[in-house]
Amino acid sequence: MRRFWSVLFLLVPILGVATFVAAPYYNIWFPKDVSEHGRTIDNLFMFILWLTGIVFVATELTLFYFMWKYDEKSTKTPVKFSHGSHALELVWTILPAATLLFIAIYQMEAWASAKMQPPDMKPLVEVTGRQFNWDFRYPGPDNELYTEDDIVRTDGKLYLPVNEDVLLRITSLDVLHSFFLPNLRMKQDVIPGMQQSMWFKATDTGGYDIVCAELCGWGHYKMKGRVYFLPREKYEMKLEEMRREQNTMRAEIPEEDDE
Amino acid sequence: MSHSVKQFVSAVALLSAAFISGCDSVDPPAFRMNMVEAVSYETSSDYQQEIADVLGALFGTPDEPFALPETGLDQSKLTQSAGAAWSDEEGYNYGLYRKHCVHCHGVTGDGRGATAQFLNPYPRDYRPGVYKFKSTFNAAKPTDDDLHRVLINGIPGTAMPSFSLLPGSEVESLVEYVKYLSYRGEMETKLIQYVFNELGEDEEEADDGTITVTRIPLDPANDPDQRDAVMELLAEVVEEWDAANGMIVAPEEESIPADDRSPEEILASVEKGRELFYGKAANCYTCHGPTGLGDGQVDDYDNWQKAHKKFLDETVKMADKDELDDYEYALLGQREEVSESLYPLRNAIPRNLRQGVYRGGNRRLDIFRRIYAGIAGSPMPAGGPTGPGAKSALSEAEMWSIVDYVLSLPYEPASQPQKVTPKYTEAIAR
Repeated sequence: MRRFWSVLFLLVPILGVATFVAAPYYNIWFPKDVSEHGRTIDNLFMFILWLTGIVFVATELTLFYFMWKYDEKSTKTPVKFSHGSHALELVWTILPAATLLFIAIYQMEAWASAKMQPPDMKPLVEVTGRQFNWDFRYPGPDNELYTEDDIVRTDGKLYLPVNEDVLLRITSLDVLHSFFLPNLRMKQDVIPGMQQSMWFKATDTGGYDIVCAELCGWGHYKMKGRVYFLPREKYEMKLEEMRREQNTMRAEIPEEDDE
Repeated sequence: MSHSVKQFVSAVALLSAAFISGCDSVDPPAFRMNMVEAVSYETSSDYQQEIADVLGALFGTPDEPFALPETGLDQSKLTQSAGAAWSDEEGYNYGLYRKHCVHCHGVTGDGRGATAQFLNPYPRDYRPGVYKFKSTFNAAKPTDDDLHRVLINGIPGTAMPSFSLLPGSEVESLVEYVKYLSYRGEMETKLIQYVFNELGEDEEEADDGTITVTRIPLDPANDPDQRDAVMELLAEVVEEWDAANGMIVAPEEESIPADDRSPEEILASVEKGRELFYGKAANCYTCHGPTGLGDGQVDDYDNWQKAHKKFLDETVKMADKDELDDYEYALLGQREEVSESLYPLRNAIPRNLRQGVYRGGNRRLDIFRRIYAGIAGSPMPAGGPTGPGAKSALSEAEMWSIVDYVLSLPYEPASQPQKVTPKYTEAIAR
């Protein structure tokens, strides 16, 4: 028990690293990436994780070493206080500053392509957050939003083409929401009265989660949906199916049960 | 010494017993009595208890609901929806109602869940068994498919979200449970009325002239006549719901507009719809406003709020009376207590037709049905017949024109200011 505290503090880097090593096996790591730019985001994350991880482990080991070596019970020489070192101060100011500057420059392209350079096209869908649902408005055959052939869906299912540039327009009816597509590494806060844009290119077909990532009220957790990426042909069939459904004018009468 | 040890031990034992039993005695959620109805019909507390007992015998409790075979409700679906939320090892989910619905619609389905008072509009109170967005005639019940559609699409313009991501079987279970809550709520009101009309105090005059007053208890278990009467009431409730599928509004084939109308034909239909909108027969503009902004009238209430308003008004009237006897005074106390528990009244605001948000669905058929059957429970009247074979204020062709006009409204400027053309500016400048 003599060096209890130093060993306890040694557990911090060990358990910290173990958490990250074990995470993928317990399925608490990143969800599957199905976007073209997602790799850039993930690489940035991994780069910063390694950078901070190494510094973290080194710092913790130093802490452990000092605690072990200068343990109160076994160290008999009295403490000597010194008043710092100018050279050291310079080093640990300049080094982090340079690192931060490097990261700022290094990520610029990723930020610009995700948030500043929308593809030159009309939005495929307008996404509207409301307490507590995501509603979708497709421009319809004329490709123009807010015309009479728009298709409005409130069933929480969004259909988009795969392997193509997708531009979404995102708005809110009431309060702050955040349109989050974890599998596309995309998240955009929405502010009532403002129009936001989101763009990406999906690489896989299938259905993926839509969630609200900004606490928007007591029903926040209910604001989930699914985005489905379909090949062009099926996407167009789906649009046509939704257009037909909205134009339904005939009733289907359920057949009476014959007993 | 040994005495004080004994005292200490027994004190600890008593405390821990109280603690343990305290944990066990958390009351399971219970159905709440419809106090607006109960107090309106002057139901005594004895009768309230008896009505609750009869309802318990007919429908069970929120944790263990059951449906008599006469109701035709599916017991397994009710079991899956009721009780506390949990999942078994296969991932099969139970307690769906409490997981997804209860915080707005309440355990009793009275629209008074924990978050209900923060919503506008208030969540639906299922107990009267009236539903707005359905495919049937105004007075008819909704079909299962109608309730299903609302769960899948949510209700845009309100806080009702979509539940389309739940497995189909779970949505079906919830539909069954919502119907169960309506059956129960309707039955409760019928029992309260039955007690008011049929039971009460019986006066008996003995030979020597003394009058003994006895209360006739509501006890269908031991009174075969009451039993028959209660089952008759239940049959009335069930019958209406079972009739829903026969009351669906289906547009007649010959009046349905063609799919491939030319823009000119559509425009002509929109123009006709506009005339009807401002016309005497349809008379849409008096409520929806001269520009369709939903500001024609803003003072009306829906049926749920009307019932509360009536209750509040009668309470105020009673309080204003100069003299009250003891019985009336006690009743006033009850009325005031119930009045205070009600949420603030809200007006039923007609839809702003320029927003393009249609609560009952945005299919052309949905909008046609809103015009044809009106919106049950709201001031929106039926433009079509009130039931199969009844007289209709508007023809179906006219209603389809109104559909065209309504669907064009969000894209039509509310006013049409003249554009300034540069034609004369040079001449004037000179």
